[in-house]
Amino acid sequence: MSEKYLVQPDLAYIDELEGLGADTLKKCFQCATCSVACPIAPEDSPFPRKEMIAASWGLKDKLQCSGDIWLCHECGDCSDLCPRGARPGDVLSAIRYSAIKEYSQPKFLANAVEDPKKLPLLIAIPGLWFALLAFITMTAGETMTKIFHTIGIEWSHGGHGIAQANFFSTWFVDLTFIPLSICVAVVFGLSLKRFVIDIHENAVAEGKTDKKTIDIKALLQALVSIIPVVLKHDKFNECEANQDRATAHMMVLYSFIGLAVVTGIFCVVLYVFHIPGPYSQLNPVKWLGNISGAALVIGSLLMIKNRLAKKDQVSAYKDWYILGVVLSLGLTGLLTEMTRLAGYAEVTYFLYWLHLIAIFNLFAFLPFSKMAHLVYRTTAMAYAEYGNRK
Amino acid sequence: MDKKYGVYICTGCGIGDVLDMEDLVDVPDEEGINCTTHACLCGKEGAALIQKDVDDGKVNALVIGACSRRVNFDVFKYDNCIVERVNLREGVVWPHSREKYPALTEDQKDDEEHFDQIQMKAEDYLKMGMIRVEKVELPVPFKTETFSKKILVLGGGITGISAALDAAKIGFEVTIVEKQAKLGGYAANMRSQMPVVEPFEELIPTVIDEKLAEIAQYPNIQVKTATEVARIAGQPGEFTVTFKTPGQKIPFDVPFPLPEEMTMDEKGDELDAETLHAKYLEFNEGKNDILQLDPEGELYGAVILAAGWRTDTLEGDAYTHLGLDLPDVITNDEFEKIAAKGKILRPSDGKEAKSVVFIQSPGKDEDDADFPYCGSVTSQVALKQAKYVRNDYADGKAYIIYQHMRTPGLQENFYKSMQQDNGIFMTKGAVTQVSKNGDDLTVEASNTLLGDAIDIKADLVVVSAGMVPVTVDDPIINLAYRQGPGFRDNDIFGGYADSNYICFPYETQRTGVYAAGAIRRAMTIEESMEDATGAALKAIQCIESADRGVAVHPRSGDMTYPDFFFQRCTQCKRCTVECPFGALDDDEKGTPKINPTRCRRCGTCMGACPERIISFADYSIDSIGSQIKAIGVPSEDDYDEPPYRILALVCENDAYPALDMVGMNRIDYSPDVRLIPVRCLGSVNSIWIKDALAQGMDGVILIGCKHGDDYQCHFMKGSELAEVRANKMGDALASLALEEERVRFEEIAIDEYDKLPGLLSDFVEEIEGLGPNPFKGF
Repeated sequence: MSEKYLVQPDLAYIDELEGLGADTLKKCFQCATCSVACPIAPEDSPFPRKEMIAASWGLKDKLQCSGDIWLCHECGDCSDLCPRGARPGDVLSAIRYSAIKEYSQPKFLANAVEDPKKLPLLIAIPGLWFALLAFITMTAGETMTKIFHTIGIEWSHGGHGIAQANFFSTWFVDLTFIPLSICVAVVFGLSLKRFVIDIHENAVAEGKTDKKTIDIKALLQALVSIIPVVLKHDKFNECEANQDRATAHMMVLYSFIGLAVVTGIFCVVLYVFHIPGPYSQLNPVKWLGNISGAALVIGSLLMIKNRLAKKDQVSAYKDWYILGVVLSLGLTGLLTEMTRLAGYAEVTYFLYWLHLIAIFNLFAFLPFSKMAHLVYRTTAMAYAEYGNRK
Repeated sequence: MDKKYGVYICTGCGIGDVLDMEDLVDVPDEEGINCTTHACLCGKEGAALIQKDVDDGKVNALVIGACSRRVNFDVFKYDNCIVERVNLREGVVWPHSREKYPALTEDQKDDEEHFDQIQMKAEDYLKMGMIRVEKVELPVPFKTETFSKKILVLGGGITGISAALDAAKIGFEVTIVEKQAKLGGYAANMRSQMPVVEPFEELIPTVIDEKLAEIAQYPNIQVKTATEVARIAGQPGEFTVTFKTPGQKIPFDVPFPLPEEMTMDEKGDELDAETLHAKYLEFNEGKNDILQLDPEGELYGAVILAAGWRTDTLEGDAYTHLGLDLPDVITNDEFEKIAAKGKILRPSDGKEAKSVVFIQSPGKDEDDADFPYCGSVTSQVALKQAKYVRNDYADGKAYIIYQHMRTPGLQENFYKSMQQDNGIFMTKGAVTQVSKNGDDLTVEASNTLLGDAIDIKADLVVVSAGMVPVTVDDPIINLAYRQGPGFRDNDIFGGYADSNYICFPYETQRTGVYAAGAIRRAMTIEESMEDATGAALKAIQCIESADRGVAVHPRSGDMTYPDFFFQRCTQCKRCTVECPFGALDDDEKGTPKINPTRCRRCGTCMGACPERIISFADYSIDSIGSQIKAIGVPSEDDYDEPPYRILALVCENDAYPALDMVGMNRIDYSPDVRLIPVRCLGSVNSIWIKDALAQGMDGVILIGCKHGDDYQCHFMKGSELAEVRANKMGDALASLALEEERVRFEEIAIDEYDKLPGLLSDFVEEIEGLGPNPFKGF
């Protein structure tokens, strides 16, 4: 079958997983109830039984690069049915987070995102940065206009009345977030390259694929083919215990898509047609933005409620961090708009500042937070499709 | 005893409804014996009625026709009286109903065509009961010439010490004999023992020091270290024990029987008795005969065998892949010794052993068998020793590769706590290779929970060697018995000192010798201590029973014992050889010597004796033979088509209670069968079978317990011997021109009562196929 495998338990890895909410992992006695219970486990070497023994043996090398850990959608059926209370669902969640940390560079950022003590820093850095840029926008408008005129560009996009651009230059926003996005994309790109190579090697070694090499074109085709699955949450819904969670998760996913579309349109309109915001409430783009914002808030609140209600699931800092970021992103966005419409200039500017901090946290730390599952899970699902994981 | 007979018949529980009581009462009346009937003999009034007759001196030999002797035995119990219970209820009216066997009309009663099978059975049983009380005697208890209540404990380990303490606390004099120079046994060489209290998670120091200190407080415990037993002669209550220094050769060393190869000549034929005896004497030159008592010997009442175990030696082709010759591949025993000295350092270079693999089964790809003599204890030892590694090194890793992980009872909690330890790695799997890899070792395993083939790097590899009971190597008890110094045919118990682990714990194959601890089964310290209590109580029970002259087990309280009519003995030695418990010795002429307190009263000697000179006060060739003769065998002179008559000799331990259950469940079987309970099928003498056939009975079936490896015979060998004897009947039957199918042997367990009716019907059918016995009516 497979090749000989040298077992090298890593005691620190077991400690790490235990710290990430998998404190029960050693309870597993390998009855495989979990693999039987799992509605989406493949028939050939199904998870999570093999992941459980690998975790309790501290086999970091086997788990970090396993594509299977990403195929799990954490419905918790396995944890509910585990006769020993080993909670395989939470163990897989911890393994995934550890894998995210492993693949994302630079390491210090990954460590900072994982550490609750570093949270003030993660807020303070963008906070100060945006405060500085806001200060420049508010106090040095004329100087900036002159500087921009020398290169033939209009500095201000702000109209009259209350507009966020008057508080915080659109240029600054984009000059912050566009390079940041590029960095994030590069980080993801590098991580994914390693990731795909690793999960392929792992799949070959454990006989989970019929492919010998990676064919990029076929992999991309597989990616395209699984996008409808992701959008429709087909896999997510196969986990029966997940049905209530699926709604919330879908709301958040679609609101992000909606907001991305709105931001895209806004950019094009601004830079190509030179029409700045804010748009009228009658504008369909605005409708989409508003609906998405509301969906984001409701979706993330539902997720928080679900987590609080689920007593048998362990929620670690990694979970609360990302839920906090998403909720504050939505809330500050909506409140910024409402206070703007209400005419509270100072309040709306302050909220906008908070909103920017939240966006920064989401964007900059995307490869390091739990949110990175968006990329890794999609990739792993694409690979599973490509590699004929059955 | 001047017998005064009385017959009492109960008409309750359906007996009076089914049977013609007038006809039944006629049976004793014809013999001139007073017969009383009552509607409820076991009730207050009925019991008082019999008691009054006994008290008035009217009866002392009672035949009670009512329920089975297995019920109401406490009601129908009268001191100094012979009581025979005739089983009219479970044996007659319950299994056979009037719907199936209608009562005869007045006309039918006198014709030669009709007969009442139920009534016939009841009348036969009553006659059989009446003849039995006539033939048996009240037993007189056997008393030994000398008597000692001292208990001898063989082995000074945790089991022996605990047993000695338990017996001493009750007030018995105890002597502990230990081969080694000091007490303590293996427990004294261990680092820790398994937890014994909640939450069963931490190892504890062994309790041996505590126990050793406790011994000193009991002046009635005598300790003999650096001593072993040369021989134990005599019988329970008066064992004469000779002690010696280990290794010493003395005249009272026990003689050994000739090894089998020496009992044959060059051609492989058995040597004659005289040559055998000469060879035996030559073989045991310098040793006194077993019957010669050591005048210096010390007297003991009973023996507790707690000689324990030794670690198994693993060698041979089956284990070459395990690298046992490598210095860092050691046994669990060697590991324990290293651990007892301090931190776990490996033998080759003294390096700290931080990665240790514990191998629980030989592996390869043959099967999932463990090492010989391994079980729950070696599983627990592996867990305990893995814990040593973790206690010694914070970054230590201990791997356990097992086929079976057995943690009985609350030790499951220890297993769970070990599982929780981040440095413990357990998997089921087969080890395929252990090899040297630089300074370290590599253990290869297949079929693991982690995948098909894994490699583990290790500093040290520990192989689980089993706990071999010392009785595998040596008789240990050195009994001066004619059957030999140790336990006979001990292989079926894997060499453990046992007789039937489930039914009769602590009982060995020798009465008065009670085994405890690891000589009986691999045990932990805690289990051994509990086991010691059991054996100590058995030893005390034995002493007290022997003192009262009654059997200790399994016929506890039985006052009878075999009595020999020596004038007719031909010194064939069959009784001595066949006794399952070695109760009989014989002198140089071959005359048997009975040791009643060794005897379990099964009657196997009675069944063996071709001269029929062995009998018990209440159970003899004559008593059963007369019962058989009392069975009416109708012939063509009586009826046109006379009913068949089948004799069933039924073991009273399993088959007879099972037949009672058949009755209780109202299941019908052929009413032509007549049951006679026997102590054990081993006690069935072939003369009974011959007599039955000679008087015209059509067939004889023997129903006993299962024999073989998983035997259920209460007397170990009884049913096996009965089958051999029944098979040998063939020639005798042929000489009478009878088919050998007329004698059948069957095995039944007590829970298989539902098979009995079918089994009996089959036999009756087969006999009917053969036709009636030609001797009928002669």
